[in-house]
Amino acid sequence: MTLLNASNVSFAYGDRAVLPDVSLELFAGEVVSLLGPNGSGKSTLLRVLLGTLRAANGAISWNGRDLRAWPRRALARFVAYLPQSPVADDEETVTDVLRKGRAPYWGSFGLESEHDLQVVSQVATQLQLHDLLRRPMAELSGGQRQRVFIGRCLVQEPKALLLDEPNTYLDLRHQVELGMLLKSLSRDRGIAVLMASHDINLAAAMSDRLVLLSNGSVAANGAPAEVLRPAVFGEVYGLPLRRVEPVPGGIPLLHPELMLQSIRHGA
Amino acid sequence: MASLVGAALAAAGVVYQAILRNPLADPYLLGVSSGASLASLLWYVGWLSTSAATLLAVGQQAFALLGALASVAVVFLVSARRGRIDPVTLILAGVIVNAVNGALYLLIYFTHPEIVARGGAFIFLVGGIQTNLATQQELAAACAAGIGWLVLAYLSGPLSVAGLGEAEAESLGVRIHRLRWVGLIVASFITAAVVAVSGPIGFVGLICPHLARLMIGHDQRRLLPAATALGAVLLAAADAISRYLTADQFLRTQLPVGVLTGLLGGPFFLLLLWRSRRRAEAVA
Repeated sequence: MTLLNASNVSFAYGDRAVLPDVSLELFAGEVVSLLGPNGSGKSTLLRVLLGTLRAANGAISWNGRDLRAWPRRALARFVAYLPQSPVADDEETVTDVLRKGRAPYWGSFGLESEHDLQVVSQVATQLQLHDLLRRPMAELSGGQRQRVFIGRCLVQEPKALLLDEPNTYLDLRHQVELGMLLKSLSRDRGIAVLMASHDINLAAAMSDRLVLLSNGSVAANGAPAEVLRPAVFGEVYGLPLRRVEPVPGGIPLLHPELMLQSIRHGA
Repeated sequence: MASLVGAALAAAGVVYQAILRNPLADPYLLGVSSGASLASLLWYVGWLSTSAATLLAVGQQAFALLGALASVAVVFLVSARRGRIDPVTLILAGVIVNAVNGALYLLIYFTHPEIVARGGAFIFLVGGIQTNLATQQELAAACAAGIGWLVLAYLSGPLSVAGLGEAEAESLGVRIHRLRWVGLIVASFITAAVVAVSGPIGFVGLICPHLARLMIGHDQRRLLPAATALGAVLLAAADAISRYLTADQFLRTQLPVGVLTGLLGGPFFLLLLWRSRRRAEAVA
């Protein structure tokens, strides 16, 4: 099922065209990573798809309905978004943060239903946050914080997740755990995940599809094994790359040529 | 009367702090109080008040309200860009308008010695609960503040995510720019309604939200009523104390309650800051 259909979308900050022309689809139950060097327009694209930045041209539709026709609250029940640096007061507790995810469901005067609290509790269980619920945000580690913010997204009960570099503050183990979590969400609940990422190989390992952005245009789009071509990625990132296949027929890795050489020469 | 003023200021303080994303924001930051003070002083300039009274059919209270709303309007107009307001620009514009209002106040004060002679000017700088108000004036202020408060309470859901980033708040279903406009205008309006009768009483709007946060946590939806109640209680108590000191011949003159809230509020606020810094160090 097509959740998102964006065709010929463009966006500019003033005179500077950040996205000249992007077309992208997102299907239920798939994990898609958005790759590309700094300034290639990954974050901007996510925000344009979300409607917080208005596209200059092109058409964006969620669930077959034009983005501009979605009421904000209804869209917030359909798509959740995690920015690069989400905000929380130091003294806010984990529960406070999680409960804000139910904001699109609250009644007037901010009244919560019993169901709202149940959802918060379920998500806390799923992400193993139960022991942290009463802790202030300032006391959490980077990995715990990120889990809480992912939790806030899930509390929205969305059909799609837009994540802007969710791995930024995570160590290797937490990166892998996050990847497994996102995979299971997409597999078990049919949630579509679109995330901007800087780690090509990690993205390849946990994504069904990779989309490579170069100066705001799609340079490659497809399954990791097909798309990971050193020539294409090397040109976009401005760095000679080599493809390595640890397991024949498995997911390939891309490594910078320079690093492979220096390892070989023992430098 | 004191409870009403305290409640309104505290509620406005909660909303200002949430929308401006600044814990030091108070209801006077955007020029409400300096505008009201200036207008109240202008009222004492004879020809101005007579012409205002005949042309607009307003009394001194309404004139002060107009002054407050006019200076907030200037702040909003200066800082709005393409219909959007950015908290930092807004705070800067507020500081500037406050400074200009203050300068004008002093200018009029010095060029019209007859006002000084009548002794009517100080109350608009410090603020106090007046006892000579007509029931009609009190009712007007109470209605305005009450309606405004209901609007803020209705919005308390969206307000509780207003402190997040713009894209974050929007992704949670809140039209953040519209919310900023509505929230700040309503909060300014209820502030103006009570400042017009009491003058700028300091610290209530700053302290009560912080106190309430310490007691019940950060949830905006509970914070608004809690801070409102605190404001009502605190200012009523401060007013009672200042009247007691006065009645007891202790000070031999009427002590405006604004002096008392400033004197007590300042050190108390420093204490809060000190405590939160110690806690931050303990965590780090």
